[in-house]
Amino acid sequence: MVNKQPTQPSTSDQILVLSSLEHDQLANAKKHPIPRRHLKGPELLVLWTLRLYLLFMMAVVGYQVWIAAR
Amino acid sequence: MKPVATSIEEEAVVITHEDVDRAHDRVRVSSARAQRGFSSRARLLWLLVGPGVLVMLGENDGPSMLSYAATGAKFGIGFFIPFVALTFCMAIVVQEMTVRLGAATHRGHAELIFERFGPFWGWFSMIDLGVGNFLTLITEFIAIRAGLGFFGVPPWAAVLTALVVLYAALMSHRYWTWERITLTAAIFNLIFIPVALMTHPSWHSVGHAFITWQPMPGFNKDVLLIVLADIGATVTPWMLFFQQSATVDKGMTTKDIHFGRIDTVLGAALATAAAIATILATAPLLAHQMTADNFQAAEFAQALQPIIGRFGASLFALGMVEAGIVAAITISTSSAYAFGEVARKPHSLNLPMEEGKSFYAVLTLCAVAAAGIVLIPGLPLVYVVLVVNVVAVLAMPPALVFLFMLVNDKGVMGDLISPWWANALAAAVVFILTAAGILFGVSIIAPNIFAALGGT
Repeated sequence: MVNKQPTQPSTSDQILVLSSLEHDQLANAKKHPIPRRHLKGPELLVLWTLRLYLLFMMAVVGYQVWIAAR
Repeated sequence: MKPVATSIEEEAVVITHEDVDRAHDRVRVSSARAQRGFSSRARLLWLLVGPGVLVMLGENDGPSMLSYAATGAKFGIGFFIPFVALTFCMAIVVQEMTVRLGAATHRGHAELIFERFGPFWGWFSMIDLGVGNFLTLITEFIAIRAGLGFFGVPPWAAVLTALVVLYAALMSHRYWTWERITLTAAIFNLIFIPVALMTHPSWHSVGHAFITWQPMPGFNKDVLLIVLADIGATVTPWMLFFQQSATVDKGMTTKDIHFGRIDTVLGAALATAAAIATILATAPLLAHQMTADNFQAAEFAQALQPIIGRFGASLFALGMVEAGIVAAITISTSSAYAFGEVARKPHSLNLPMEEGKSFYAVLTLCAVAAAGIVLIPGLPLVYVVLVVNVVAVLAMPPALVFLFMLVNDKGVMGDLISPWWANALAAAVVFILTAAGILFGVSIIAPNIFAALGGT
């Protein structure tokens, strides 16, 4: 069954789409979420470490800019 | 194993305008693939090339070309010539993963992070991208303003010209047309090659530098900052988001991954040539003992004028303008893709205006806001230019870990997960970026420890 959009493509276009695109390539398919993945301890540790690293380094960059501005 | 990515066979199929446009592009690819012979392979390459070349030449942007120019002016021909080539090899390793992810999942990078790891980590990732993109966009308009300023164009006219070009590329509302227009503009990045040739570089020294990595610069804060800036000129978070989303928008599938890799390597080769040409072009400034510490785009062109003449200096300034315009187009597009993916709004360059209002609005607003900031008198924008590549390097390890986890996620990638050697290379890239960032931090906040490590 093929639903039609407000600006509906022609029948030939619909056939073209169904024959040349993979099903999960259709714009509508992207409304289906991909299942969430449970993050394990080591993964969370790496993510948090890098997050803190980034925050700290941004503070360092801010400090450097402040020094340069003075 | 079949990837988790959703299947909709059992549901009603809704077809949109975006799907129709993408299908037309795919028909041409299928037709070229069905034929044999060199010309059909060349046609297939022509049809599938795009995201890789655009991302690599797009990253040869205003601040990047300024970094390469400063590298040449401060250190001449030596260590940094092969170093820059190495950074592009790192970019290939990273960007190839985004091609595989996009082709296997048909989802953008932001979308995958949000859905697979949840909104908590997704928002962190989006904040990194949003802040980095906006700062970088500002520097693109600074480069455009400075480059056109060399010809006497007033800042408001320079910025307006860039916005008109950006808008013109969008007007077709077709990914294919947008990609070809932007690719045409991006090829002008190679304008730095004739500029380099005008300086009559010593090819013996270039060859020697490539083989021996000599002469080595000293180990001090200046060198470290240039190292970070040159790394940040080739690997940045927006590139991950852009290439994956563009791969999806182009409609590439797993059958196209091989050509996606060629596209990425081709882009890296062209970008390396332009980057090294920029270093060669400004290397004579070192020989003439000109201090280029605080040079902006126009100053480099003016300094080069006595060496390569008005024509050569004009080409250099035009190169800066091109670098800024192409990057403004690709970076604002990457922001719009990411916003659409996270907000679950339509996000494609194939969308007609009425269906993609939010996508085009975000894209245009990002560019207009950055352009507007550049026109505010008295703002100390020079600091943005100085730190933008460094910020990109610092934000890269967290972004790479998400990429690394996704590309090794069998539930998402199926049989296309990374082989062990690709993981080893990616881990090496993360290690190099993190180590460079930590060294930079140490040099700023603990100069004594930096000195103990041999730094001066």
